[in-house]
Amino acid sequence: MSHDKSSKAYSDTPSQPEQKVFYSTDPADFFYMSVNVPCQDYCPAKTNVPAYIRAIYESKFSSSYEINRMVNILPGVLGRICSRPCEDRCRHGEKELGRSVNICHLKRAAGDHKSVGHIYEHQLFAPNGKRVCVIGSGPTGLAAAHDLSMTGFHVTILEAYDEPGGMLRYGIPDFRLPRDILTSEIDAVLRMGVDLKTKVVVGKDVSMEQLLTEYDAVLVSTGCYASRALNEPGEDLPGVYSGLEFVMEVSAGAKIDLGNRVLVLGAGFTAFDCARYALRLGAEDVSICIRGLEEELTVTADEIHEAKLEGIKIRSLMIPHRVVGESKVEGMEFLRSKPGEKIPNRKRKVTPIPDTNFTLAADAIIIAIGQSAIPIPAAAETDESGVLKTDPETFRSTAKGLYAAGDYITGPSTVIDCIAAGRKAAEQIARDLLGRKFREWVVSIQETKITDRERSWDYIPRVEMPKVESIEERLNPPDTEVELGFSNSESLEESKRCYLCYLHYEIDMNRCIYCRWCIDEAPRDCIKLVENVTLNEDGAVIGLTESSSWNKVNAVVIDNTQCIRCGACLRVCPMDCISVSKVQLIEKTVSVGEQNG
Amino acid sequence: MAERHCVIIGNGPAANEAALTLREKDTDLRITMIGKERVGCYRTHLLPNYIIGKTREEDLYVHPTDFYADKNIKLRLGQPVKSVDFSKHEIVLDHKEIVKYHGLIIATGGKPRIPEPFLVFSDIFLTLKTVADANAWIKKLKQIDSVLLVGGDLTSFVFADALIKMGKTVHFVLNDESFWPIRCTPEIFNQATGALSAAGVQVVPCQRLKRLAVQSENSVHVETDSVSLTVGAVGAFFGLRPDVSFLARSGLTIEAGIIVDEHLKTDFDNVYAAGDCAQVFHPELKDYWVSIGYSNAKNLGRIAALNLLGGTFEAEMAPTKIFQMDGIKFNTSWWTEF
Repeated sequence: MSHDKSSKAYSDTPSQPEQKVFYSTDPADFFYMSVNVPCQDYCPAKTNVPAYIRAIYESKFSSSYEINRMVNILPGVLGRICSRPCEDRCRHGEKELGRSVNICHLKRAAGDHKSVGHIYEHQLFAPNGKRVCVIGSGPTGLAAAHDLSMTGFHVTILEAYDEPGGMLRYGIPDFRLPRDILTSEIDAVLRMGVDLKTKVVVGKDVSMEQLLTEYDAVLVSTGCYASRALNEPGEDLPGVYSGLEFVMEVSAGAKIDLGNRVLVLGAGFTAFDCARYALRLGAEDVSICIRGLEEELTVTADEIHEAKLEGIKIRSLMIPHRVVGESKVEGMEFLRSKPGEKIPNRKRKVTPIPDTNFTLAADAIIIAIGQSAIPIPAAAETDESGVLKTDPETFRSTAKGLYAAGDYITGPSTVIDCIAAGRKAAEQIARDLLGRKFREWVVSIQETKITDRERSWDYIPRVEMPKVESIEERLNPPDTEVELGFSNSESLEESKRCYLCYLHYEIDMNRCIYCRWCIDEAPRDCIKLVENVTLNEDGAVIGLTESSSWNKVNAVVIDNTQCIRCGACLRVCPMDCISVSKVQLIEKTVSVGEQNG
Repeated sequence: MAERHCVIIGNGPAANEAALTLREKDTDLRITMIGKERVGCYRTHLLPNYIIGKTREEDLYVHPTDFYADKNIKLRLGQPVKSVDFSKHEIVLDHKEIVKYHGLIIATGGKPRIPEPFLVFSDIFLTLKTVADANAWIKKLKQIDSVLLVGGDLTSFVFADALIKMGKTVHFVLNDESFWPIRCTPEIFNQATGALSAAGVQVVPCQRLKRLAVQSENSVHVETDSVSLTVGAVGAFFGLRPDVSFLARSGLTIEAGIIVDEHLKTDFDNVYAAGDCAQVFHPELKDYWVSIGYSNAKNLGRIAALNLLGGTFEAEMAPTKIFQMDGIKFNTSWWTEF
């Protein structure tokens, strides 16, 4: 029996009257968002993923770009190089639901296809007369400078290198991140009135004491530029390179002759960048040597695939023991390793197996096994390595007005982590200097009628990023961007796959007649006959007790963690008792009158 | 006490030997074998002869169909395993059925290896691992006169010889990727070139396959860094890799294969791996090794079964030669079996 009421049309067209928006700061609503919109929850910057993908579906690329830019000043950059924690949690990727939405590359599409005369949307606070110095122009520093400038501060960025961008410019290869994209998005920050002074090294060209006198606050966001050494014999032989320095030199245009056989030691993005750069410098036999297992690498599966596609080998279960060579590198001696017990959410320990030495021949060895912060002299408490000690919540050091954020205090993280940290630090500095808050996270709730997703869209295969297929074309010229970007139509197709988890479906039990049509129509076990609902201490739903006995059923409940927002229940309901609301975690500007402490 | 249920994933030589050993040692045990192919256990090395008509299809199979019923072993064919939940002792089949087990032997063997730089050509390549592959070759060879073989594992040499006997023109690409898992040295290269040429095979020396373009159903244009040619089909013979992708992120320790100790035990109690899918650290070899080949697989299947029943037998390590490739050592007695 079909219950379809095809005459009933729902859409999200502008002709519909604007629905009133409610803003909530109830912890139960934040809990709901964290469970039901996992992509946004797992984004360190809390990007409103469903909203920007929906905007792409509506061909509003500029709006999509701005939705990103509200929390992430570098959408074009992150659309290329983000570590994509959101995609690991995308509900489309859950068991039996297929593959996650290509969230990252849709972000890039928003940047690629935004209108030529795109207008940045800024909510600017009036100038407040205070001055803040940001040391370092990487993602943390840029994000902090941007937000502080919007908040009315006069911001100066001090950068030690020739150009701004930090690791984005000097630590990420141009075949992954074209420099014009980076420069354009950095310019969008600088045009807010931020002063940029390059080639200034704090502690050498200017002291921290001078800065703390001259500015109302100083934020250290200098990242991690000290390469971790292998501390094994032979490390100083010619032909051994530090991974970070190697990437920085090649990014700056150096043509290094590595020879044919290159071994890269390390398991992170820098190791993969080194290996792919090595190929582009003419090496033919490039291997990434890791201590553990390929399956447990933290780089994206895409990165591993691309590296292998280009001919790079990944060799696992080997621990570097010593560099072999007389006057220059001739190879690397390793010991076999044994993976230890696997403990959930913890990095697996690997131990060397004694007496299992073997040597791989090499013309060059690149050591990319980690980085750490370079200390900046300051009259404040530091850790044993000289790095400022800060409160992880407030970013404050023990010196008044001195803050630190990003990789400088956490160690190497991801670009999106840094942007989130920079923004949080900016908000803290603004609150400390002006005694009020400027932005706060709220849950916006608005009745809506977006039910135009079609069930067939759930079966659209994930649209993969088109790439330069020929390896030879990738390598010549070496800065050829490997990923080509989605076309307009590919973006539209991929955007259809998003379930739009920010839509909340709910049954009004006062009108429900328990006909079960919605349950019959449901594509999966998402509508439940419920005897009892379990709430947490904040009043958020954390469990449903189902019942198969009619005399025990107290409600028919849509389980939003199972719901794939197909709208089938709403269309079939004879009583119109199913409502849809758009619930979004957004950052709201707080005016003076809205201060609540 | 509930009936003890031992499940074997796989239906190759290791799996069959494991099942028969379990039955031999325990007549009451409930034994289930789950194979993803729809056909019974067969002799892979006879496939080239089957293609050219020298071996009948029924002679490929190791056991008649009623063999398993006689042994009280439940054989489930055509049922790929989707995943295994080791904490719940559950095997999830592709059709969503859940099979509970008390003891488990994973013996899924290998699957054709296509090196990543050649993955873009996957849709064009024909491989030769299964009866289905062989039937695809039989169908194709009725329509074409020439074949290009790339890779260079031992099957490719046997197959090249078979194709020549069929009167086909055979081109053979030899390069650094050839002879996996053995490193291609100039000595091996020259030997292979001489042997292939003497057999009437046209050796194509090149480093890189640059482009494959399907011109029509039975015509593929091939561009290498040295020559261009047009052939009827392209066969990929890059050896086998352990067929364990369905176990990714299951909690098992997997590198090239499932890493097991010398008793073939995995990280989980009552779970063993045997045959081409297992990777063993052997104290005497001082390295990990993957065993390849019919008789090795049978031996390992038997040891896994005995140990699952409480034994402490060590995997035999008697390869006549050890080859090393990509950092993995391979027991190569397989190479001497043909």
